[in-house]
Amino acid sequence: MLTESDSISLHSQPRQGECILLARNLVQDFGSKRVLDDINMQLNSGEVLAVVGGSGSGKSTLMRQLALLQVPTSGEIQVFGKNVSAMGEFRTLPLRRRMGVMFQHGALFGDLTVLENVSLPLREHTGLSLETVEQIAMLKIALAGLEPDAAALFPSQLSGGMRKRAAVARGIALDPEILFLDEPSSGLDPISADAMDDLVLHLKKTLGLTILMVTHDMDSLWRVADRVLLLADSRIAAEGTIHDLVESGNAVAQQFFHGPRGRAAGASHDQ
Amino acid sequence: MSSVLPRCRGLLMDSIRAQHGMGNQAGFSIEGSRASCTGNWLAANLHDVEKQLLHAQWSADRVQIDLGQISSLDTAGAWLIQRTINSLEASGMQVSLVGTDERTSQLLALVKARSESTREPPKPYQPHFLESVGRKAASQFQQLFEFLVFIGKLAFVFSQSALRPWRIRWPLVVKELQNAGVNALPIVGLLSFLIGIVIAYQGGVVLRDYGANIYVADIVGLSMVRELAPLITAIIVAGRTGSAYTAQIGTMMVTEEVDALRSIGVAPLEMLVLPKLIALVIALPLLTVFADVLGLLGGMLMSASMLDLNSVTFINRLSEALSLNSYLSGIGKAPVFAAVIAAVGCFQGFRVFGSAESVGRQTTISVVQSIFLVIIIDAVFSIAFSRLGI
Repeated sequence: MLTESDSISLHSQPRQGECILLARNLVQDFGSKRVLDDINMQLNSGEVLAVVGGSGSGKSTLMRQLALLQVPTSGEIQVFGKNVSAMGEFRTLPLRRRMGVMFQHGALFGDLTVLENVSLPLREHTGLSLETVEQIAMLKIALAGLEPDAAALFPSQLSGGMRKRAAVARGIALDPEILFLDEPSSGLDPISADAMDDLVLHLKKTLGLTILMVTHDMDSLWRVADRVLLLADSRIAAEGTIHDLVESGNAVAQQFFHGPRGRAAGASHDQ
Repeated sequence: MSSVLPRCRGLLMDSIRAQHGMGNQAGFSIEGSRASCTGNWLAANLHDVEKQLLHAQWSADRVQIDLGQISSLDTAGAWLIQRTINSLEASGMQVSLVGTDERTSQLLALVKARSESTREPPKPYQPHFLESVGRKAASQFQQLFEFLVFIGKLAFVFSQSALRPWRIRWPLVVKELQNAGVNALPIVGLLSFLIGIVIAYQGGVVLRDYGANIYVADIVGLSMVRELAPLITAIIVAGRTGSAYTAQIGTMMVTEEVDALRSIGVAPLEMLVLPKLIALVIALPLLTVFADVLGLLGGMLMSASMLDLNSVTFINRLSEALSLNSYLSGIGKAPVFAAVIAAVGCFQGFRVFGSAESVGRQTTISVVQSIFLVIIIDAVFSIAFSRLGI
């Protein structure tokens, strides 16, 4: 049973830079194919960690494991200092509420409006009146950068960028401590992608969120990420700030960041 | 065991409470002109505070709110505080905050800047009752119209293909025959066998009292062959195959595969619908024949065991009771049912719009409509046959 001191330490704000998510020796097999091999990593409070890598390098699988959506073949995950591998699905529910996920295509519930989508976690997990729940949901919708009018729309009536913002709004509905973003700027036009980067920075600053994002977008890496994890051939090929990775002699990093796109993004950032 | 379970649950609730700070509730109190907030102002444990704040009696014109005792705060908590401040200030009171740390003031500023957006959460347009009745009726008429257009197009494609039969995609027809026909044999066979048994039993109970055992062959034969076998088979196929057609085409609509076919220059009707239609029009009469045989077999077995009617007598009586016309009138309905099921299934598939949820909705509509139409058409056939004296 947890003691009183546990509950207090759990709920005091984690100190800046404290490790809140830790993965040890993660392995994921799909049939005979090994998608992730011996992954060791950590996520520190208040940072934006970007997971990058080519298509099929296991980025999304890693994110799904860390977000407790997929049980790894072997290895250990610790969230807020608790070993999740030893817990059953039901015992992890309280931990899941402290994490928000934005799925790549939004995964908004199609028969609910945006407002209802964002209200759902609040209605499930709080005893607040419907009026208050809707007000808080509207705050989150505004925080995610959507116009109030968008709240009454159904997901099928939203553009790609709006859908991602609505998904972010649902992800932050319960003020999670960790927010997972799966390809936040993929499929968006350059202006919306920039706006999405701004949103990530804004959320990090205002809500003190810790963010793990899977991305392909070179510009996002330069603008948003505090630290970058580069996956290649199912393993972590390199890790560090984007400057470290670009300067490093690591062959995979060289290939990744010194291609035409990587150079262009770096150059525009240096200006 | 029973004593262990609640204990475990208690432990679990404790740990959930502890992890959510529920053990350390949010608190709120007023003394004179001074209000103070204490504890964890987190979304999960604000329900009591919310009510307290709504019914709070503010006595003075100047209020001081002490936030120094709050141990943790999230946006939901900040919003409750800010909402209270907003309403106090709107009623002309002066509010001052004390004990705010940096994070608290940041969160309050964050929600204050967005207070405007909470004013009236927009609701999707809710039409008046009469309006929704009207809209519903109009959309039903439109759907009927679209269905007729679909039938027309289908007839056109069919007639074109009939002129050039080598252009029909026979491999697809064969595949659909396998799916809709061969694979349906077990379920169709089993159900009609059971129905044969049931009819023989129900008829037998009455006939035995009159010593008219032999006529059970008439009852089973006529009802199975003329009505039940075609109807049961059509209903099973509508549920089994019609729904699959809708789901398949619907999913292709969602993933834009239908548009991809169009862009390649292949008519979706020709590629997706025609093979299904042809296959089902062939398969359903054959399935009906199979259902006839199994149904009669069931009736025969039941007569033998309950009425001591041996099978030779049963079959002899059957050949007198059943005319060729009765048999053909049963089989003859099957192709019509098949065409209706295939057309409705595919039509509803093409009506899928947007999301996965729409696939489910149209599939339900497709099954309901095709069973409905099958029964209506069966009734029309019955009336027509009786007028014609078949």
